[in-house]
Amino acid sequence: MTKALDVHGISRRGFVQMASGLTFVLGVGGVTAVRASALNDAPLEVSHWLSIRPDGVISIVFPATEMGQGSYSTLPQILAEELDANWDDVEIEQLNADDRRFGNPLFGGVLYTAGSTAVQAFFEPMRRAGAQARDVLLQVAARELGVAKEELRTEPSVVIAPDGSRMSYGELVALGADGVTVPDAERVNLKDKSEFRIIGKDLPRRDVFAKSTGMAEYAIDVDLPNMAYATVLRAPVEGERPVSINDAAARAVPGVLDVVSLPDGVAIVAESLWSALGARSELEVEWSEDAPARQFNSEDTLRQYAQAADDPDAEHAVWAEKGDARAAIAAADRTYGQMYLSDYAYHAQIEPMAAVASVDADGQGAEVWAGTQTQSWTTRTVMDVLGIPEENVRLNMMTMGGSFGRRTAFAQDYVRDALLSSKAVGRPVKVIWTREDDVKHGTFRPAAAQKLEAGLTADGKLDGWHHKVATPTVIGFFNPVRWASVRPNDVISMRGAESKFYGITDFRADHIITPRQARLAPYRGIGAAYTSFAAEAFMDELAEQAGRDPLDFRLDLVEDNPRGRHILEKVAEMSGWRNRGDRALGLSFAGYSSSMAAGVAEIEVDADSGDIAVKHFWAAVDAGLIVSPDNTMNQIEGGIVFGISMALREKIDIENGEVLQNNYWDYEIARANQIPQIEIYVADVDAPPVGIGEVGTPMVSAAIANAFHATTGRRLRHMPFTPDRVLGVMAS
Amino acid sequence: MTKFVLNGQPVEYANSPDEMLLLVIRDTADLKGTKYGCGAAMCGACTVHVDGQAMFSCQMSLGDVEGAEVTTIEGLSDDGSHPVQKAWVAEQVPQCGYCQSGQIMRAAALLSENPDPSREEIVDYMSANLCRCGTYNRIFKAVERAAKEV
Repeated sequence: MTKALDVHGISRRGFVQMASGLTFVLGVGGVTAVRASALNDAPLEVSHWLSIRPDGVISIVFPATEMGQGSYSTLPQILAEELDANWDDVEIEQLNADDRRFGNPLFGGVLYTAGSTAVQAFFEPMRRAGAQARDVLLQVAARELGVAKEELRTEPSVVIAPDGSRMSYGELVALGADGVTVPDAERVNLKDKSEFRIIGKDLPRRDVFAKSTGMAEYAIDVDLPNMAYATVLRAPVEGERPVSINDAAARAVPGVLDVVSLPDGVAIVAESLWSALGARSELEVEWSEDAPARQFNSEDTLRQYAQAADDPDAEHAVWAEKGDARAAIAAADRTYGQMYLSDYAYHAQIEPMAAVASVDADGQGAEVWAGTQTQSWTTRTVMDVLGIPEENVRLNMMTMGGSFGRRTAFAQDYVRDALLSSKAVGRPVKVIWTREDDVKHGTFRPAAAQKLEAGLTADGKLDGWHHKVATPTVIGFFNPVRWASVRPNDVISMRGAESKFYGITDFRADHIITPRQARLAPYRGIGAAYTSFAAEAFMDELAEQAGRDPLDFRLDLVEDNPRGRHILEKVAEMSGWRNRGDRALGLSFAGYSSSMAAGVAEIEVDADSGDIAVKHFWAAVDAGLIVSPDNTMNQIEGGIVFGISMALREKIDIENGEVLQNNYWDYEIARANQIPQIEIYVADVDAPPVGIGEVGTPMVSAAIANAFHATTGRRLRHMPFTPDRVLGVMAS
Repeated sequence: MTKFVLNGQPVEYANSPDEMLLLVIRDTADLKGTKYGCGAAMCGACTVHVDGQAMFSCQMSLGDVEGAEVTTIEGLSDDGSHPVQKAWVAEQVPQCGYCQSGQIMRAAALLSENPDPSREEIVDYMSANLCRCGTYNRIFKAVERAAKEV
């Protein structure tokens, strides 16, 4: 169903010769030109958004990458809707190059699938491209039938004349586009919501059948003729390098082809992964011992960050500000402050890092198969590692076995491993990281210490809010080029701290940019995964200080946000909040970017073991227009499960620069028997779509902490809420 | 040579009998539907049936299956028509999909030994397999749906 798309010269010419049909060239404002080859072999200039062939097949480009979020199906559906295409006629073309014409407008045109932005970013351009193409088909039909375009209408993939006669899109394409003009993108007619046949309906995802039959192909599955396998023994600490390698025993293992020294490790290349793994255990490597990262100890890190958060004179960058928070707090009737901590967390995607590379014999080009969140930076990695120009990079973007931010880096070391190994042995090489490699050399959600201070009026209302987040810059590590242009504003580190769904008159959020003491990456929910924990746990404490119900206290703050008020009231109704009696319920109101979510957790605490069990979770979400309702429910539910997992267990420890955890047995993620009943309400609103991939996660941890307070009277202020911490808090 | 039956066909492989069964299935038999996730019996992405039982193929060696019947996701049905697979599609379970071959194999093993499991039995049995996308509640529903059709 998927056809590779390559924009480089040779392939483009091939495509031109092969193609027959109408193609649409999309400029900044939409389709700007249309070319037809009709039934003859007239040359045509191919655009990459869509093409319609005379056999009726409609090809639509998928400009993002698929990691489970479903936009592989959703984005082409947006275009198909306005084209009024029969979805069964659509084939999806994965974009396999750093072609900035398809760049994500929310990331300055970089091909980057992150931040729940794909639908939000591509909704307008893909709708308009579909509408323009439909208009062109109507013009062809009008010309052929000798009627005015306005007298025609469409049903899926067919134009219908006033007399009821029907012409399929394929038939129209075969007639050619002589005399046709392309309507202006900004003025083309778009469907009214009531006319939608695809958007808002439950079309099955395109990838579900393949993923239910073992047929979906991930990077780790790619198999090429003459392919070898590689595994890498990595330096135990960031920044160290091999200083001496005794590989005699490793080379003696049957099947071993080569031992390749990498800047930060040693790769074994062998005829099978089994041989490579066996040989790796025979390697003796002496590592350098002078890297600054040897000083990294996560307990010390968190202590330092907490001191910085508590230091009124700490250097900071203002992340969000309204009014004068410090003056309001100083003048308030009462003030209250608390510190919240959170540890490093690991993505734990089930497909570990893997990539296949086939470097050309002359070293001047390469084909690469990888699953990443960015065509742009994967291309860049190949160029940088081999020192070759972009046009010599042949990329295949594979569906990912989960990512959650793991595969976003500017420089992708697993792709590098595959390239250098392939170059060394002159064969295609597949590199697979073991789970232990993936954990020990993971890139983590940063540790953070957050100090919140607020004022309260005598009648128990919020009067000034100051949120300080002491955490490093994530962008500065995983993408220094981007950091150079956005510094000091780090959305990855700070998202959520803006608390923008509340109307807080005097508000300020500061980023105290602390020294980095681990490898870092975006992680599902990015900053909101911890800033919303602190903000919403603190909100609950403030309500208690004010002697108010946590729901009422929040409702005061959403007077100017009726949509937010609606979901707060809705989740209260769903959970029976007003009549909760002694049930252990906790409320939270967070979300992600412009998507809002209100959640209520019901928990049970085992006072002997310190285990928290989430029994029930209710969520009300407003994410604007919903393109794929069923997938939306799946994503929100998955986001909630992710939130439960990270709130209860997920923690990476670092000692002397080494990650202590190894595998899922000491980095536990939520299992089937830890999953609550989950009920989700999604608001039906007339507003643009704003993303559903991460909205479920940020609210969860505070809802659990607040429910814990409801049942124990104690506060959990350090995430994750591991049994030892729970017991400690209960004994205090 | 190790001889066994793989997806109904007799096979024999010259790989070392010590080699991890998962790697033999993936790289020698070229059946890529069975996945590597942890190599430590923690995630279940490598779940296959050995003589009808759900097993972690990362915890078995080739020699362990001498004479046995091994079934992978590719052998569950030719065309996705196994009731568990149909239920997975009907409930639109997968997100990234990487764990789902293992989930489906475990669910199929459950239903073959217990055709009418309670929700509690489903949850308990399926807790051997991890899904990082968090599709667990859909997995439960799909197993219940499949149970009605088995």
